[in-house]
Amino acid sequence: MKVSLQWIKTYIELDLSNQEISDKLTQLGLEATYTDNTKSFTDVLLGKVLECKSHPNADKLSICTVDVGHDSTYEIVCGAPNITSNIHVAVAMIGAELNNGEFKIKKSKIRGILSNGMICSGSELAYNNDHDGILIINSKEKLGTPIENILSFNEDVIFDLDLTPNRGDCLSHIGVARELGIATKQNVSRKKIEIRESEDNVNNLISIKIDNSDACPRYVARIVKDIQVGPSPKWMSDRLESIGLKSINNVVDAANYVLMNTGQPMHTFDLDSIIGNTINVRYAEKGEKFTTLDNNKRELDEFHLLICDQEKPIALAGIIGGLNSEITKSTTNVLIESAYFNPTVIRKGAKKIDLSTEASRRFERDVDIDSIVDSANELAYLLQEIAGGQIVKGVIDEYPKKLKKSPIAFSIEKCNSLIGIDLNEKEIIEIFSLLQIQVKKDKDNLLCYVPSFRNDLEREVDLFEEVARVFGYDNIPSSNHFFGSYDSFVKDEQHLDFTISNHLKAIGFYEHYSNSLISQEHSMHFIGGEAIKIKNPLSREMEFIRNSILPGLLMACSYNEKRQQKNFKLFEIGAVHNFSNKSYTNTKEKHHLGLLWYGESNLHWRHFEDRDIFYCKGEVAQFLNSIGFNNIHFKIAPFQGFNTALKIYYNKIQIGFLGIPDKKLLKFYDFKETPIICDISIMELREIKKLYKFNYKSPSQYPSIMRDIALQVKQNIKSEDLFKTIKEEGGLLLTDISLFDIYESEDVGNTNRSLAFSLKFQSMDSTLTDEEVDPLIQKILLSLNKSHGAIQR
Amino acid sequence: MSILDQIKEVRLEFKSDLQSLSSKNDELDPLRIKYLGRKGLVSNLFNQMSSVTADERPRVGKELNQLKIDVSKQIDTLELSFNNDSNEQSSIDFTLPGDPKPIGSIHPLSNLLNEIKTIFMRIGFSVFQSSEIDTDFYNFEALNIPKHHPARDMQDTFYITDTVLLRTHTSDTQIHFMEKNDPPVRIIVPGRVYRNEDISVRSYCLFHQIEGLYVDRKVTFSDLKGTLDYFAHELFGNNVKTRFRPSYFPFTEPSAEMDVSCIFCKGKGCSICKYAGWLEILGCGMVDPEVFKAVKYDPQKWTGYAFGLGIERIAMLKYGVEDIRLFYSGDVRFLRQFK
Repeated sequence: MKVSLQWIKTYIELDLSNQEISDKLTQLGLEATYTDNTKSFTDVLLGKVLECKSHPNADKLSICTVDVGHDSTYEIVCGAPNITSNIHVAVAMIGAELNNGEFKIKKSKIRGILSNGMICSGSELAYNNDHDGILIINSKEKLGTPIENILSFNEDVIFDLDLTPNRGDCLSHIGVARELGIATKQNVSRKKIEIRESEDNVNNLISIKIDNSDACPRYVARIVKDIQVGPSPKWMSDRLESIGLKSINNVVDAANYVLMNTGQPMHTFDLDSIIGNTINVRYAEKGEKFTTLDNNKRELDEFHLLICDQEKPIALAGIIGGLNSEITKSTTNVLIESAYFNPTVIRKGAKKIDLSTEASRRFERDVDIDSIVDSANELAYLLQEIAGGQIVKGVIDEYPKKLKKSPIAFSIEKCNSLIGIDLNEKEIIEIFSLLQIQVKKDKDNLLCYVPSFRNDLEREVDLFEEVARVFGYDNIPSSNHFFGSYDSFVKDEQHLDFTISNHLKAIGFYEHYSNSLISQEHSMHFIGGEAIKIKNPLSREMEFIRNSILPGLLMACSYNEKRQQKNFKLFEIGAVHNFSNKSYTNTKEKHHLGLLWYGESNLHWRHFEDRDIFYCKGEVAQFLNSIGFNNIHFKIAPFQGFNTALKIYYNKIQIGFLGIPDKKLLKFYDFKETPIICDISIMELREIKKLYKFNYKSPSQYPSIMRDIALQVKQNIKSEDLFKTIKEEGGLLLTDISLFDIYESEDVGNTNRSLAFSLKFQSMDSTLTDEEVDPLIQKILLSLNKSHGAIQR
Repeated sequence: MSILDQIKEVRLEFKSDLQSLSSKNDELDPLRIKYLGRKGLVSNLFNQMSSVTADERPRVGKELNQLKIDVSKQIDTLELSFNNDSNEQSSIDFTLPGDPKPIGSIHPLSNLLNEIKTIFMRIGFSVFQSSEIDTDFYNFEALNIPKHHPARDMQDTFYITDTVLLRTHTSDTQIHFMEKNDPPVRIIVPGRVYRNEDISVRSYCLFHQIEGLYVDRKVTFSDLKGTLDYFAHELFGNNVKTRFRPSYFPFTEPSAEMDVSCIFCKGKGCSICKYAGWLEILGCGMVDPEVFKAVKYDPQKWTGYAFGLGIERIAMLKYGVEDIRLFYSGDVRFLRQFK
């Protein structure tokens, strides 16, 4: 909402700077900024820079010879980076005053050179916000012309308010003036107007019939005859234009003026286009069609409220008028509508046809039902003044449903204890009087009668806020101690995520946040349950909610590949969703960890590390280990979207999978190099973590014995099975097995390979001897041979 | 020969061996074995200790130990001096780069989220989260935002069905938590929220919030100010000033917005704070009695405050990120900067 300072000043005396006004409004909850386009200087003339040379004693300064049309030229020192010769500039002469007299231009020496004035920037003239260089003016005017005759400066200061939806009353100049009245302790009220009426009687010309008094509790009409439609007087078009409204004609402008002045939306009908003499307020029929002022044929619903004459709708109540009853150049008789419509009815109707007008915005936020007659009078008066009309005697005031407000009981003690202040009765009553709230004492409480323009104040707590607001939020003490109850502590379910992130960071992963809205194609690549579709998506690319953590990582990977990033590791922890009948939303949220490896490791003079699936397996096991998951193993399994995939297990629980995406997927994401991806269920990890018990084992006191065995096996024998056999046969004394070499060569035959294991034996009770270990080795070898055909080399 | 004499003999022999040494490293190992090895001369002497009489034993033991120390010390010293002189050894280029494991990074939004979580956890807040998909009831109605209320314009919503939606704020979790837990309540709720707004440099279809909720007996607006002042000073430094101004949220009354003095220009006015000197940081207020009614808390008995802040906005200010979309791009050139 834009408001004009001059307009506000018709209600209130203000002796404050623009900044102070802006601060006061902001402190009252009307967040304000302002643009001051008024002329704030004297003696600034149009000049031309004839010559521009550098200052002998300062790199950044120039000495300009400037012509302002006087007999002689002036030398002026200037520090702007954009100064050059042959440009027109604004020159503040010696004796000029800038910034409303705060800055006077005097003759002065700048680094030893005398400067006879100043070349101005846009911000020094308060013309614009530019203070990085001087203002270069494109003008053919005579040199020496006062600059205000060339650049346009308004006479007014415009405040721009960012209003909260509860303050419909401030969508008007009187509303904002009232707020400033609170800040400056002045009582603002409507101006009294006196109306000269003609002899006719409005009741002979028109009557109002309201079908539904809930939707329209009050409807006021007046008639002005014999007007002449034409341009508005300058004062009115200036006012409207200053707050950003276009001047149309005197009738429309007058209605807009009243709207902006009082906040009451007004509508004017061409009386002669109305058939019959009854105005009927009724609901539309479903599918009823109506062409609005903006020449848009709209299909209505049964909840749209219409203003109708005997035959047809003439306005969509509270939202927009009809084309058929619009004020035209030839209009002579005007019907003024000043009504109160139910906020929800208007809101619903406007939302449905996706139209928000100045009128609907105000009706939605509730208007002042008590002032609608005054507003109708104000408009009638204005029409008479600026369009030469005759006001027909009498006001039609159809008010079938009196909205009566009961007073609100207010407890000073409760107010003080909620806000944390200590105001006495007198101070509270003073605050209420500034708010134009009338107060009666009633035992321990105050009975508060809220003025009709403050529809937002309905409950005691609303008045607490008013007290706090007027007292000033900044004056409320900031408590410097805190209390707490042990009962309020709850367990942080997500704490594990933090540990995981930190560990992954330590081993070189970058954390990624991806958009959880994806396209249908992206939702089909991985098993994740049916993805959830958004009814009103921003675009087809964001029509579904992700059902897997992997597409986001793959998209990021592809993005980076196209930006020549050669190697990186990414992870993301986030929610994925799919359908489920088991929850109140019919959806299920799961938390997943996604990992992605891309490219080779960094080149280093000492070594080169293969980032293959074994590297990734190792890292997955390592990081799970670091957060307390020891028994991690992998099982080969076919998986949708993967060329090679491994399921990841903790003991017998599957917690995720790891693999190389298949060709189709690589093509879809347009990869040149193949990334490896992994998906782990954070929910499973959390569950396991809950059950996890730490088992301490004391270290053995006795030395261990190491034995290496090299096995020649067929290529198709899986190392996992060899491990298993060795472990089983080795029994409790075998404490560690590691595979330290794989050898494939003709010496072992083309269909064979050789695997070398290192075994560690150790007892808790005694020093092991060769006599104890040798039979175990024999047993292991025998079993390996029997089960897997392994031969010791 | 008495054992003491033998010790003297060994000392002499060692001395002459040392003198005949050339300055070569490989001669030291045989020397070490000859004297200190398992069957070396010194060990041999130790083996004879059993035949020494009890009254002589302390003295002999002492002499013998001293011998062992002297021999090993001299060999060590020689070894060190040989190594230092050796041309082979100094040919190693110790200026070659080391071999660090590459380090990753935590996303700036996580970093900030964790920092803010920690600040509130220090004053007794617990962390609680709920689902991103919710219903109209939790996201709006229970928060005193009925259908056809102008406040719904403040938040454009993605709908899944007529009643199921992507939550537009973490305030929905207030209701979930209070429905299941009796007061007192002291939680913070980090989470992802969604708005149906066009994507641009300043806005994205989703972002992250932290909601705070405190309900107890006799909680005041003054407590709210105290907590948020503490928070602002922890996050932005002790020099920032805070400002509270009235605002409107249907689920708090009184409602406020907190600004901090611009951290870039210290309140003087600059392009980042649009010459206002203040930066808008969060919305807050006292829990509206209607909200308490929705979760069946007695508003006569309990009062409380709530606040909510957007992580992206603060992260953009704090790290100087100008384009919000970078947070979700996955660009490793962006990510790797945030250790």
